Amino acid sequence: MASRTSNPGSEIRPTASWRPWQWCNLGRNPFGELTREDRVSVAECDVQAIASRVSADRQAVQLIGDCGRGKTTRMLRLSDMIMDSVYVYLPEDQPCPVIPWGRPLLIDEAQRLPRRVRGEIFASGLPLVLATHRDLKRPLRAAGYTFHNEHIGDANDAELLCRIANRRLELCRLGPGQVPVLSIEDARWLVKKFGSDFRAVEGFLYEQIQSQKNSHGQMRFIDPVR
Amino acid sequence: MAKCDLSIQLDDPDRVYAGGGKVAGTVRVVVDSDVKCDGLEIRSVWRTHGRGNVDHGIIETVTAFSGKWSSGDSAEYRFELPIGQWPPSYHGHYLNVDHYIEAQAKIPWAFDAKASESFLMRPSCGPDGATASRGSGRNSAAGKVFLTVFLVIFAAVFFLTPVGWIAIPFFGLIGGTIWFFRSFLPKWALGEVTCRVDAEDVFPGDSVTGELILRPRKNIKINGITMQFKAREVCVSGSGSNRTTHTKVFYDDTQTLEPAKTLPAGGELKYPFTVAMPADAPYSMDLSDNDLIWSASLRVDIPRWPDWTREFKLRVVPKGTSDSAADPVQVAEAPIIRDAVAPTRSQQTEVASPIVRNEPSQLAHTDPPEPIPTSQNPAPAAEVTFGETAAFLWPIRHERDQVEGLVAAVTGLTFSISAFVERRLLYSGDDDPHVYPDGYAVWARFTDPPLPLVLYVPHDLADEFEQAGRDMWTGRGTVVGWDSQHDRLQIKLLAEPS
Repeated sequence: MASRTSNPGSEIRPTASWRPWQWCNLGRNPFGELTREDRVSVAECDVQAIASRVSADRQAVQLIGDCGRGKTTRMLRLSDMIMDSVYVYLPEDQPCPVIPWGRPLLIDEAQRLPRRVRGEIFASGLPLVLATHRDLKRPLRAAGYTFHNEHIGDANDAELLCRIANRRLELCRLGPGQVPVLSIEDARWLVKKFGSDFRAVEGFLYEQIQSQKNSHGQMRFIDPVR
Repeated sequence: MAKCDLSIQLDDPDRVYAGGGKVAGTVRVVVDSDVKCDGLEIRSVWRTHGRGNVDHGIIETVTAFSGKWSSGDSAEYRFELPIGQWPPSYHGHYLNVDHYIEAQAKIPWAFDAKASESFLMRPSCGPDGATASRGSGRNSAAGKVFLTVFLVIFAAVFFLTPVGWIAIPFFGLIGGTIWFFRSFLPKWALGEVTCRVDAEDVFPGDSVTGELILRPRKNIKINGITMQFKAREVCVSGSGSNRTTHTKVFYDDTQTLEPAKTLPAGGELKYPFTVAMPADAPYSMDLSDNDLIWSASLRVDIPRWPDWTREFKLRVVPKGTSDSAADPVQVAEAPIIRDAVAPTRSQQTEVASPIVRNEPSQLAHTDPPEPIPTSQNPAPAAEVTFGETAAFLWPIRHERDQVEGLVAAVTGLTFSISAFVERRLLYSGDDDPHVYPDGYAVWARFTDPPLPLVLYVPHDLADEFEQAGRDMWTGRGTVVGWDSQHDRLQIKLLAEPS
């Protein structure tokens, strides 16, 4: 247990450093789960090009890629950016949730759309952004949509990782002063090890930072011997 | 550059605050250009951080200011807000819980200025108060219902098909084998085994007591009888196919109740046990996607034979203010909990009472309306307006337990309603029984407060809604429930508008 000191007045007071990462000016581990709002605020992706492709009826963009590459982050960013848009996540093995009218309609895990519901949505002609593991070109084409496929993850390089990681570190800033910075060299090593799977990088960095709770000196993102 | 900067100064930042108490301080605003503020909100909240999805609870929000700040202004706003009773502050490996004061200045057409300041809280409540009002986890009940329905349908289909008839013996064999090795064989060797734990709710520093009784049929050699105490953080991140469970065992202590020996046949062997919980044991927590779980498991290790095992879930709970001396302050490195030195009594004697150095200034705090009738104390619809209902639902709309109780009290009541239509639903869900045949559903917001609504529109009103567009619509409707997935009050509109 952390040490405690008593003080006059019988009040309980922790030591000044009860915050585990106060030593490096962080309020929490930056690589833990984020709220949706925080996730959007640290997103490092330009979704303007996607938005411009879904400005009219019967236009669609498919975001295709493996897990952890940034499909949902782009969807959330679009949802935040376009006032009339609606983001819908389709959970696995659960009933299809309500799907509101949106312009564009952003459907995450679109490959899970039940055929009948998919038919109703595509028949509406609303502009669509679909994050999917499976190419839905045939039903889109059958419904008269023109569409563009965006392969997510191809651009996940060390520079991008560096920017994302440092935004997360900045988000967890405790107060004025410096916060740790992930160097481009460390980012290159991480990309070499984990490829474009930034979710795996996130898990690795979480453990690295967790191991330096109540530490001192300089933050290490990767082990010196590697 | 930001138009305004916020900072929070707690009156006593280094103190460990008591749950249910008050925290006071000052929000400072420094403005570098003229800015209109739609509301400076100050909130008392708790929030998890770490590997699991973020769980949170909002304890209270006050609006300290709304209006215009001029360039060069520097303003201070006093606050005194209640602190949540549960969960307490905790810093572990995958799970962390912190309490915060948050300030947010809502600035139109610009990023809101924000600040937050964390503080430590230890509970002053007793075991009954050791449950959190949650900000998430709304899918769990729906998930259980769905799972039950799925299993019933699956079983019905499965047992009525030839494939099912072939598979039944197969699954029966697997189940029987598991039962045979895990239950029958250990009991066959040990005879009748009874085991009890006196109380599943324990306080830190207290002892877990119980008794294991064996009645061996024959002399049987054992490697030992052990009791293992375990505490683990179980955090879930993601959802659906991305759902990942992270588990960290941070306390694992095995105690031997009986060393290796031969148990004699015929008699009744009693093993009463008393095992002390660590004085600084973190409390059990069940926060939707973030849990802290204590368990005790008994094991009779039989050489070259399946062992007999039994696991009990324990709930480590606070004692409450009546005897708060044993309540530890959980600012611990949980994994090193066994090395901890129990706090001395002088360090723990009293729950800190809030210090208010200055009287808080008059905040633009919205006083709650008069108490609304509950399901235990119903009132005719005529006595409650929709505005009053909305005013009560608005601050608790993310607190599932509270909101469902209140909605149950007003379900079936018919009101005059004015609402701004937000958007029509393309798909209302197969299982939504409220949608009119040939009708549809829309999302809308009440006027003030802007409580989110689902309006079920009958076919007769379709034209009226088309014409209303996103303007205000007025009519009558009956409350039919709460959409817990989107935190919206469900209202079935009546065909005859008033």
